[in-house]
Amino acid sequence: MTEQIPIETLHPTIRMLSDEQIEAIHHASLDILSGTGIVMKNEVGRELLVDAGAWESEGRIKIPPHLVMDAIASASPRIPMFNRLGELTMPLEAGKVFFGPGSDCPFTIDVETGQRRKATAEDVRRIAHLCDSLAQIDFVMSMGSPSDVPPLDHYLHSFISMIRGSVKPNVYTANNREDMEDIYRIACAVAGGEDELREKPFMLHYAEPISPLLYNDESVDKLLFCAEKGIPVTYPPSPNTGGGGPITLAGALALGNAESLVGLALTQLVRPGTPFLYGMNTAALDMKSAIVSYGSPEWPLGMAACADLARYYDLPVWGTAGAADSKVVDAQAGIEAAISMMSAFLTRCNLVHDVGYIEYGTTSSMEMLVVADEIIREVRYIMGGVEISERTLAREAIHRAKPGGGFLADDHTLDNWKWAQWRPELIDRMRYDRWVEKGRKDMATRANERARQILAEHQVPPLPEAAEEVIAEVLKEREDSAKRTT
Amino acid sequence: MVIGLPSDHLRKGRTMDTKAHVLEQIASNLYKGEDDVVATLVHQALDQGMAPAKILNGGLIAGMDEVGKDFKAGDLFVPEVLIAARAMHAGMDILRPLLAEGEVPSAGKYLIGTVQGDLHDIGKNLVKMMLEGAGFETIDLGTDVKPDAFVAAVREHQPQLIGMSALLTTTMTGMKATIEGLEEAGLRDTVKIMVGGAPLTAAFAEQIGADAYAPDAATAVDVARNLMGV
Ligand code: B12
Repeated sequence: MTEQIPIETLHPTIRMLSDEQIEAIHHASLDILSGTGIVMKNEVGRELLVDAGAWESEGRIKIPPHLVMDAIASASPRIPMFNRLGELTMPLEAGKVFFGPGSDCPFTIDVETGQRRKATAEDVRRIAHLCDSLAQIDFVMSMGSPSDVPPLDHYLHSFISMIRGSVKPNVYTANNREDMEDIYRIACAVAGGEDELREKPFMLHYAEPISPLLYNDESVDKLLFCAEKGIPVTYPPSPNTGGGGPITLAGALALGNAESLVGLALTQLVRPGTPFLYGMNTAALDMKSAIVSYGSPEWPLGMAACADLARYYDLPVWGTAGAADSKVVDAQAGIEAAISMMSAFLTRCNLVHDVGYIEYGTTSSMEMLVVADEIIREVRYIMGGVEISERTLAREAIHRAKPGGGFLADDHTLDNWKWAQWRPELIDRMRYDRWVEKGRKDMATRANERARQILAEHQVPPLPEAAEEVIAEVLKEREDSAKRTT
Repeated sequence: MVIGLPSDHLRKGRTMDTKAHVLEQIASNLYKGEDDVVATLVHQALDQGMAPAKILNGGLIAGMDEVGKDFKAGDLFVPEVLIAARAMHAGMDILRPLLAEGEVPSAGKYLIGTVQGDLHDIGKNLVKMMLEGAGFETIDLGTDVKPDAFVAAVREHQPQLIGMSALLTTTMTGMKATIEGLEEAGLRDTVKIMVGGAPLTAAFAEQIGADAYAPDAATAVDVARNLMGV
């Protein structure tokens, strides 16, 4: 018999915007840029835009559509990201979804004591260490601002702690160009040189403009640094509905899109082809508590719309999921994380950050990361769709089965059970008595135990010696210059 | 909560029986953000011969106080407070030219800004709006305010209160530097200092020598009033 072509499995996706809606947002964004204009506080950024055809009027820089369209055309549709061992583990490209934590929380929940306390450099390393072991976590971010180092060295120490704690690619933040330079030096030492780093980038920088339409000096300077060096970069604005953005999501998307495209244009003007990750953060400013809500449905809704826009531009896209407004790892946190991560997967957002945030991004939680790892596994299973094939249709097993008798002991079950069903690791399905016997542990307790076990057992390859030497050098220089200024 | 009579009662054109009544009406319509009705009622009260200061205190400010209380209790949303504030302005616009010098009451003069290196201002702006609603006169220095600029502004405006906002652990230190700057300039004792922002704690405020910390805008108003001894 001729071997038949298998039936393709549909992997579910969602689209949030129709072609017509995408075009309408695109046009509104172009109108914002050419009609309203931006405020650019960085001199080099201003010159780049004006030289490329933007003009100044009424204290704003107005940007014509062709400048934006040229940038979209010269940007790369994919960003291959490597781990620090030089392996391609995170190709940010159409159809792929990667998850990881967020940056810079002032507080953390101590995994030993359960107390909310200020984060330290060691916390950053330990969280990276945990993420290194979690199979569904693809990259690391700092998750904390180390309170035990001088404030202006926060980002430098975070970077060092991340690369010590994990081999996975990282997304890093920085204060200013000085940080960028020091981090770059260390990164080159890790990769083995500037060319090696450019060929196999293991780090992506995250800076942001200020919605609405303000491009502050430092953030643009950091963006331009990335373009100069070829470091992959994301520059997502935060048009939070009712805060940095209009209360309506459409307006927030039009604004955020305009703002993100300016970031793209700046990088492409410095160096066409600079790896740029498009995106925006569209959380809601909660009108009772006045927090920027990380668990709000507006965020996944906006992320899905943003992913549609990215596809229209053929750009890789940044997103947010797995974060919570809840102060503890409870049912609320689970709902917030599950809904956003499911949305992220369905919309095929390429790089999804903030996994493991609680308290609207103020506090990090290792338990939350472990729970999220389980949610991602489960969501991924659903994304697998339903395979329709001879082996899954189980014709013979159905034919064989004794009416009313079931399939438990059938060969088809015994041969296929391992892959045909999803199995939980952290989610509990024990029968009641056994659950009592095992100590009546809820999900957060089990996640805590798992996190501590990983920290005790998981091994991470150390940094190359050359890198540790450069780190020591950089830290020494910082110390010396601090002494000079005091 | 609802105070006074519903506004459609007024729209139907019923006349006020007593002077006290019209003040209640102003307060209740202000609470509901009915700016046009508040303006009409303020005119009505003036026509009845009521003193502008009395309308202000017994109507507008009384209404705004209720709003503040209910916001603090979590019964109102931020836009409801801002809509009420809009109604307050509608009344104030009529009264301001009529009030004698010194009659415009101020709960206190409040200088506010986000510290050096920090560009977060959504929270600072909200604190400012709530203080204004509570009758404080505010001076906003914006974001990225250097210690010197705070000191200079204190010298110039002579506020009773200063509020500093910081959302970053890297910029929190600017608060201490500002307090030291004020000490050096001999101005520390002329002001009460409040601080706020996501990475801050009450302990931090104490440690840097600030007078108070507030975790949110509604609390900030109460704390400011306490510091003013109201
Ligand atoms: C919106 C936001 C932004 C916007 C700011 C827009 C704007 N115009 O303000 C943008 C996107 C520009 C931004 C930029 C950055 N941000 Co930001 N941002 C936030 C976010 C999500 C919400 C803040 C907010 O507006 N909340 C809503 C308002 C209403 O609440 P609030 O600010 O807390 O204010 C209330 C109280 O704190 C208090 N209060 C505030 N000020 C004052 C002052 C006084 C006197 C009193 C009494 C009370 C008081 O009352 C307010 C009203 O209730 C927080 C997350 C968080 N958990 O807070 C991060 C956060 C503050 N940002 C953070 C970071 C790291 C940054 C960046 C450095 C990122 C980067 N790498 O580029 C830049 C810094 C830019 C700069 N130089 O300032 C970190 C800070 C971490 C840390 N350890 O310091 C946070 C915690 C997020 C995170 N986990 O990473 N950010």
